[in-house]
Amino acid sequence: MSAITEAPRGNCALGGANAVFSAIDRVVPIYHAGPGCCMQTTAGEAGQAGGRSPFYVSGVSTPCTNMLEHDVVFGGVDRLRETISGALEIFEADAFFVLEGCTSGIIADDVKSVTDEFSAKGLPVYPVDCPGFLGESYRGYEIAFASLLDHVVQSAPREGDLVNLFGIMPYHDPFWEGNFEELIRILEKLGLRVNSFFTRRQGIAAIRDSSAAALNIVVSPWLLKDAAAKYEERFGVPSLRWSGLPIGATDTSAFVRAVADRLGLKDRAERVIAEEEAYVYGYLETAIGALSWKRFAVVADSNTAIGVTRFLANDYSFTPIVTIVTDPIFRPEDKERITRQLTELEHAKPPAVVFETDGWKIARELDSHSEITLLVGSTNDREYAMEKGIQCSVVAYPITDRLVFNRTYAGYRGSLTLVEDLYDNL
Amino acid sequence: MAMNLEVTEVMGRENRLGSISGYCGSLRDLSCKARCGGVKGRERCFSQDSLCNAACAQGTLSLIMDAAIVNHGPVGCAVDAIGSNFVLRTMQRLSGAPEHNIRFLSTNLRESDTVFGASEKLKETIRETWRRYEPAAIFVCSSCASAVIGEDIRAVVSDLKGEIPVPISPVSCEGFKSKVWASGFDAAFHAILTDIVKPPAKKTNVVNFINFFGSAKKEIAELFARFGVEPYFLTAGSSIEGLSRLSESIATVSICGTLGTYLGTGLEQKYGVPYVQSMRPHGIAGYEDWLRQLGSAIGKAAEVEAYIAEERPKIEDELQRLRSRLKGLRAVIGMGPGYSFNFIRVLGELGIEVVWTSAWHFDPRYDSGANVPELEFLAGGGAEDIPFTVSDQQNFEVMNVLNTLKPDIYFSRHPGTTVWALKLGYASLCVNDEYTAFGYKGIVNFGTMILDSITNRSFAELFAKRSRLPYTEWWFQQDHAHFLAEEAGSRAAASEPAAAAIGAAHE
Repeated sequence: MSAITEAPRGNCALGGANAVFSAIDRVVPIYHAGPGCCMQTTAGEAGQAGGRSPFYVSGVSTPCTNMLEHDVVFGGVDRLRETISGALEIFEADAFFVLEGCTSGIIADDVKSVTDEFSAKGLPVYPVDCPGFLGESYRGYEIAFASLLDHVVQSAPREGDLVNLFGIMPYHDPFWEGNFEELIRILEKLGLRVNSFFTRRQGIAAIRDSSAAALNIVVSPWLLKDAAAKYEERFGVPSLRWSGLPIGATDTSAFVRAVADRLGLKDRAERVIAEEEAYVYGYLETAIGALSWKRFAVVADSNTAIGVTRFLANDYSFTPIVTIVTDPIFRPEDKERITRQLTELEHAKPPAVVFETDGWKIARELDSHSEITLLVGSTNDREYAMEKGIQCSVVAYPITDRLVFNRTYAGYRGSLTLVEDLYDNL
Repeated sequence: MAMNLEVTEVMGRENRLGSISGYCGSLRDLSCKARCGGVKGRERCFSQDSLCNAACAQGTLSLIMDAAIVNHGPVGCAVDAIGSNFVLRTMQRLSGAPEHNIRFLSTNLRESDTVFGASEKLKETIRETWRRYEPAAIFVCSSCASAVIGEDIRAVVSDLKGEIPVPISPVSCEGFKSKVWASGFDAAFHAILTDIVKPPAKKTNVVNFINFFGSAKKEIAELFARFGVEPYFLTAGSSIEGLSRLSESIATVSICGTLGTYLGTGLEQKYGVPYVQSMRPHGIAGYEDWLRQLGSAIGKAAEVEAYIAEERPKIEDELQRLRSRLKGLRAVIGMGPGYSFNFIRVLGELGIEVVWTSAWHFDPRYDSGANVPELEFLAGGGAEDIPFTVSDQQNFEVMNVLNTLKPDIYFSRHPGTTVWALKLGYASLCVNDEYTAFGYKGIVNFGTMILDSITNRSFAELFAKRSRLPYTEWWFQQDHAHFLAEEAGSRAAASEPAAAAIGAAHE
């Protein structure tokens, strides 16, 4: 039995899949779902992750069968066929993905047979089996990648300087664009070319040829295990898993060395590291003592939780008390990997590590640590910080009280922004 | 015609009121057909995303300060809790109440639950909600998933009645139930009327004020004080205790006819609380009609006349000045039906010509059986006839019309469509606040806001030069009603009356 969830920190599988497809340039998601699913999921991901609305087709512009009672009783495939035909007529796009919601999932409409009718005519229309009840946003993210691998990625000759950067989920990570941009900036300094699929309007062509990459870099302690295995098996692209967003000099330099190691770029890496670390510390030294030492708690998705905890403890001498990971992690080995990242700190006594998604239980967990003076979390966690009168910094989903474009806490430059934002929140 | 309040769940508006979500013609034609009962909805054979009634039901109930919501569905159906939480906390902050997060739990239905059922899980979630917060009431909302698998929420709720000492109220708002998302307001108000409102112990001088977010609470309290009555705003910011006494009030008003029809009519029918069914208080004619009808319901007709005589002249000069600057502007409206009709009238009062309107649905009559008073007013000479369509926020149709008519400004009430009008390069104003153009001061403020938006159009113009639209050239060359079929499933050619109406407006 899945857990009762108060104040969910994510959407359903449909929402996660939609977050991916609506972030790809010139791609149109088509909902075969109830009339409210698209608004709920668009608001639930992009809207509540820093107040955004995806750029090509999203929300009110997304084609949808708006399934009603009649469709529940008689099936909705005819309606779906019409909706796809209409979408092909009114949209300029490189691909159309039909996303299945709970209703069509439960009544078992054969979506694939409908999309096959179109693909048989050479039209780029693909099915995505992602009814909401399959899981949370991350499940949708994984399903979307599986679908891209099944329908879009093709073999291409190896290109030694090309890497794919995965693991940062569009929209669900409110800082995804900024995080991609900073990590890409650093990787490009190593002389690499980087596919993110989602930034710089890369789109379907970049995804199709992503099998040419020399390395898949998966920045996440648990996501895309299957997709990484598939790239290896089908196209011989190996993976480097980096568990947690690298924030600050220590972790980012380690990240750069790990990538360089795999691609034989050691000398160049050391030059980049020296330059970037000088840049970061050049700023830090101008504001020493701006923040008094804090005993902090983090409540966030695994990538952010690891990155923030490690940076503040390892690089900034704050004291970690408890880190609560809000992702629905289900594999024991992933929990172990995350716990290791959070507890193997070079300079600090490790925090308590807790896995919890329910809002009320998170608050009770925080209650058991009376010494917290800084809470780094989401908009949901402001309530707790206000009640206790402690400093609160909002850096994780859901974020409804800040607008986020390209802000990032990742990498070298992002760590400076994180310190700036902590100061802003005193 | 009396409402049937004894039903366990309220029907969707299509079946209850004959509401439609597909129509293309003109304002007068629509009014004429509504009056003689002949409005037939037309289906679309292609549609973009709409909205479901759960969003309206949950949005209405989740802003009651001391209640809790349980959504029986997959976790995505509870995600509007995040947005509502923002509204709730902003409201708490503005009213000086202690800030707390929304009390909103999801049963988090999964695949196995859709096979084996999840009534036990629902029971446990309701119990857990009680253990955590001891709320004054618990509303249990359905979803498509729980409804398709046939979960019996009523049975679960009745099992728990002896165990939990506060009202637990089932709300039937599964998304597939109605194409008209406003049906969700009715589902929420049905729950309030059935499970929360108690028979009156006494009569008070309170006027029930049905609204959305209540930005003008202070101003209205001051206004009502002149007439010796007090407003009670709902649902945002209300309490279960306050709602339980709605039956004691002297009258009910609603800021939006679409929003308030079920509760207003229900309170009148069940408890004799008069429901004021005037035009809404937007602009001058609406405000005065509303005041007069309220005045007669509460026995203060003379006081109302005195107020009108005193206040109206104060804005005359300012209004004249605005009219002279706004005259000749051409506008397109895309809003819910209540606001569409009211804003055609308000824009007329400001000298702006409305060249096309789309309402997100249309109720040919309200629950009381009365025709929509705003439409009667417009069709009876209050406005020129204009092209009018009904569409459940079909963005591609709005884009097509904007591109054809090239108005000076687009008015919406939902920011999603405003963005798209901006991408086309049109000045756009999203009437988010339900009290926009409220009363005498409101219409002056609104006129000023319009003047500002058309005076500096830099953002829309710069943006349009650089934005890429996903729509094909082909689509922009079609009639906007291209996908509107006479009958479900058959793709009709462009409707001729529609083409003629649009053409006429364009000339």
